[in-house]
Amino acid sequence: MKYRVVVRRCKEGWGKPEYKSYEVDVDPDTSVLDVVEKISLEMDRALVFEHACHHGVCGACGMVINGVERLACVTKIGGVARNGIVVLEPLRGFRVISDLAVDKSRMFKQYALVKPGTHEKVNGVVGIEKLLDCLECGICYSACPIANTFEEYLGPSVIAMSYRSTIDGKIPAIIDTRKGVWACHASFECSARCPADFKPGETIMKIRKGLLFGKLEVV
Amino acid sequence: MSLLKHVVVIGGGITGAAVAYDLAQRGAKVTLLERGSIGSGTSGRTHGLLHSGCRYVADVEVARECYSENVVLRKIAPFLFEKNGGLFVAIDESDLKYKDFFLKKCEEAGIPVRELDRNEALKLEPNLNPELKAAVLVPDGTFDPLKVVLSFLASAKLHGADIRPFNEVVGFRMEAGAVKAVKVFDKASEREYEIEADFVVNATGAWANKVARLAGLSVPVKPSPGVMVALNARIGHRVFNRLNKPGDGDIIVHHRGTSVIGTTSWVVEDPDRVPIPREHIELMLRRGEELAPIVSKLDVKAVYVSSRPLIGAIRASTGREVSRSFAIIDHSREGVENFASIIGGKFTTARLMGEKMADFVSERLGITQPCRTADTPLAPYWSYFT
Repeated sequence: MKYRVVVRRCKEGWGKPEYKSYEVDVDPDTSVLDVVEKISLEMDRALVFEHACHHGVCGACGMVINGVERLACVTKIGGVARNGIVVLEPLRGFRVISDLAVDKSRMFKQYALVKPGTHEKVNGVVGIEKLLDCLECGICYSACPIANTFEEYLGPSVIAMSYRSTIDGKIPAIIDTRKGVWACHASFECSARCPADFKPGETIMKIRKGLLFGKLEVV
Repeated sequence: MSLLKHVVVIGGGITGAAVAYDLAQRGAKVTLLERGSIGSGTSGRTHGLLHSGCRYVADVEVARECYSENVVLRKIAPFLFEKNGGLFVAIDESDLKYKDFFLKKCEEAGIPVRELDRNEALKLEPNLNPELKAAVLVPDGTFDPLKVVLSFLASAKLHGADIRPFNEVVGFRMEAGAVKAVKVFDKASEREYEIEADFVVNATGAWANKVARLAGLSVPVKPSPGVMVALNARIGHRVFNRLNKPGDGDIIVHHRGTSVIGTTSWVVEDPDRVPIPREHIELMLRRGEELAPIVSKLDVKAVYVSSRPLIGAIRASTGREVSRSFAIIDHSREGVENFASIIGGKFTTARLMGEKMADFVSERLGITQPCRTADTPLAPYWSYFT
């Protein structure tokens, strides 16, 4: 199948971004990421994008595909193309490094404030470790109306990770502030777009309830 | 500061990250160049298996090395791994025949394993084939590959290393039998620049020969791809291995919310052009179903392929006969005195590869600091970004 892939490109020193088209001939079940990689190897060696695992566990390849945040590696081009066209843009809410790559430090720098663990409890099984389902892809920041307008917001994933990895039920005090759960306007865009079904929105509501009813302790 | 020796490491996968970290910790000035994003080559596209070494027991030395690195990684970065172990499972008679050899070799390699009876195995992992004939519990683990690479790089940055993704090496400036400078294309600014180097380490794995050719050198690497199939659900806590010699589709690795069946092995010329053979996907699903029948009920989330950087000095057609251990190629034999390549190895043994490569470079540059990476906790991956 022939597709036209339109990529928002932006390089250092450019006043404004430009949209560039690439014609590709691939199977409809090819992932958008494999298509982008093919373009970078065969048509445009300067195309900048992030990727690593290619199977939806590392969170590197989050991007806006035809207006919607998705992981490019688990998105088939045939499923998202409209009239054979796929428009690719970087995630919103982050500084663009170049083309489709964004600087996720505004998300990762919050980790020092809440010190999340990386493992979560596995229900019903003792002695088993499981890495959090959160891929740390940044898609929830891009989708969140608050994260896009309020720079200091801890962000959906960071709040949810902090809560889900807590062992003693105590949460860091900063979560109970205007930068934490009280900034959320409950649009649930984070949960709607989350590629790992991590449900940050629901977790934020659970934490609020816990705080209101005195069931959660802050430290 | 100008007295510091400057080492340019090419390749932002796990090997380059481990080399950069080790050299930076010993006091070298390190710049790491990666043409794409971090972990975007083979490293990011691994299974995510922290090897116990049991898969390689046919070669006891390799197995022992693997297990000892497994123990080191658990100790220096417990937060990166699901340390749940793995099971080697016998499904048919041929598997069962392999069991005594397997147990004997595990003992020789010093890997702590324990045989389980059928009921015990199924209680631990209900999705395993209920017809299983034997099961052995081993110290495997799993991880998200990108986060491990980032942790090594975050640690390198703490020691002053300069990490440059999206910076592709396009050539070398040679002077009097040495690399004087590396020519780089910065994709973010679309500009070319040069960076002077006292020593260059080519840690580009399956791409090592492509990079070496830019300096008129060659590296005997055999890019050996393997296909992996990720399922849209997670079907176990511990790694599922087929109790037999390594073969196609004999392992299922679980991490986060997914399980991955792997893998195959063949040899290609160019790691940038590897189509995924459809029959490999079908083979993975069929073999995966033998280990865990539930595989047939699940959808495929993603199919991916990555090329192992196998050492190709020995002629081979499938890539499985050649050594899985690593090799350092000293290009001074070809007339370039400050250039070395490192190929082979496994994700699990990358720290050791970094140590040996840094030993080699240190000797050349007169750096006297010893390796400390096996005893120093790794920095968390998120500090890479801050």
